[in-house]
Amino acid sequence: MGEAALVLERVTKTYEYSHLGRTTYTRGVESLSLEVRRGEAFGLLGLNGSGKTTTFKLALGLLRPTSGTVSVLGGAAEDPKSLSRVGYLPELPYFYPFLTPVEALRFYGRLSGISETALGPAIEGVLSAVGLASSADRKLGTLSKGTVQRVGLAQALLHDPELVILDEPVSGLDPLAIKEFRDSLRKVLEKGKTIVISSHSISELERLCARVGILKDGKLVRTLEAKEWEKGGLEDLFVETVR
Amino acid sequence: MRKAAILAWNSWQENLRGRYFTLAFFFGLVVLYMSVILGVLAADQEVRVLLDFGLGFIELMGLAGALYGATTTILREMETKTIYLILSRPVTRGEYLVGRFAGTMLSVLVSMLAMAAMHLALLFFKGWSWQAWYFWAFLGAFLKVFVTAALATFLAIFSSSVLTALTISAILWTLGHFVGEIRFMSAWGSSKAASVPLTAAAYLMPNLELLNARDRLSAPPLGLWLGYCAAYAAVWLALARQLLRRKEF
Repeated sequence: MGEAALVLERVTKTYEYSHLGRTTYTRGVESLSLEVRRGEAFGLLGLNGSGKTTTFKLALGLLRPTSGTVSVLGGAAEDPKSLSRVGYLPELPYFYPFLTPVEALRFYGRLSGISETALGPAIEGVLSAVGLASSADRKLGTLSKGTVQRVGLAQALLHDPELVILDEPVSGLDPLAIKEFRDSLRKVLEKGKTIVISSHSISELERLCARVGILKDGKLVRTLEAKEWEKGGLEDLFVETVR
Repeated sequence: MRKAAILAWNSWQENLRGRYFTLAFFFGLVVLYMSVILGVLAADQEVRVLLDFGLGFIELMGLAGALYGATTTILREMETKTIYLILSRPVTRGEYLVGRFAGTMLSVLVSMLAMAAMHLALLFFKGWSWQAWYFWAFLGAFLKVFVTAALATFLAIFSSSVLTALTISAILWTLGHFVGEIRFMSAWGSSKAASVPLTAAAYLMPNLELLNARDRLSAPPLGLWLGYCAAYAAVWLALARQLLRRKEF
């Protein structure tokens, strides 16, 4: 239990594109070192293209670092044992439109290794936690963006992960949905879980996170603690940092 | 392999709820319609023509469905990003690949069986009596589709292009029916520059001649059929898995 939830040590990710014999290189993140403590909510702030999604994908083994190391809950990022303890909500969660939320959750739950006996109660619990009970039997292709986002959160929390990674979870949600989303995440934190979240909504990170890291051009340029933005607000500190 | 089975079932569900199986119904309508025309054209050979035509069409429809499924399923999941929520779970890339392939092949097998049921119903209606050769011809057709789909899966991941994978698979499926001729030509040629590539090509492409029940005078060697197809598909799927393991999303 002592180790950090997520550790990136001097991680660089360079994307390589080859077309007609010409190779171009794009920086994803550069010499990124970051440690997220267990049980905390850590926010990642940055402008578009600053490396937030790249950082998350490195933590999930969807991308491999060009150099440096990534450790998730004490194991390698791609290790199935580590991944079984991680929940992930991508920026735009795409689901199979032919499934209902219950069927999708059953599918993802089984892939996460939940036993058949535990699956039913787990789905019921997570559906009520994210306020989805009324849409549980409608096809995903017919649901609104906000409802799909709730399904996204539900699948991320279904297997009771120790680390929850959320990439822009509130983008496109209405104010009421955002509040309900925040309440759901607070409950996750109360259970001692770790949350790593990125968002363009600075106020959301202000309310939820204990620490926030600011990414600029693929580098972690500043890490702030909650007490630092309690007086002046996080927005000013962010603008001052990225300008 | 439990994860692979879960993924296979998910693919099956997708095909069942999509338009995949309308192909089978379309086949039934085409065969019924063609039977009327063939009845007029084939005179006293109507049943024979209907038998050959139907089995050939079942194979082609199965091949179309399998190549479409094998080349589009994984690439579509990469494009729509549904793959993120699978590979960010404790699912290895090998399990993912095998699961998707098995789901496609299950759907193809069921659609081919449905087409065969309609075909047999029509044959019985025309007075044909059951012969074991029908089973061997059907099995051979399915196994041909199976090995070609494994090759197509590799080509799709290798090229990242549905069109390229479809085109090359269709060419190899055609050439696979001429492996004997290709081997003969490679042995016949005096120049090594010509014979070595031909010999290599003959071993790389699926030997579909082997699976042609109509070319045999006695019952086909089931063990050889199954062993060859399992080994051939396993090699291409293993290569596809290696490529998928190197891919980033």
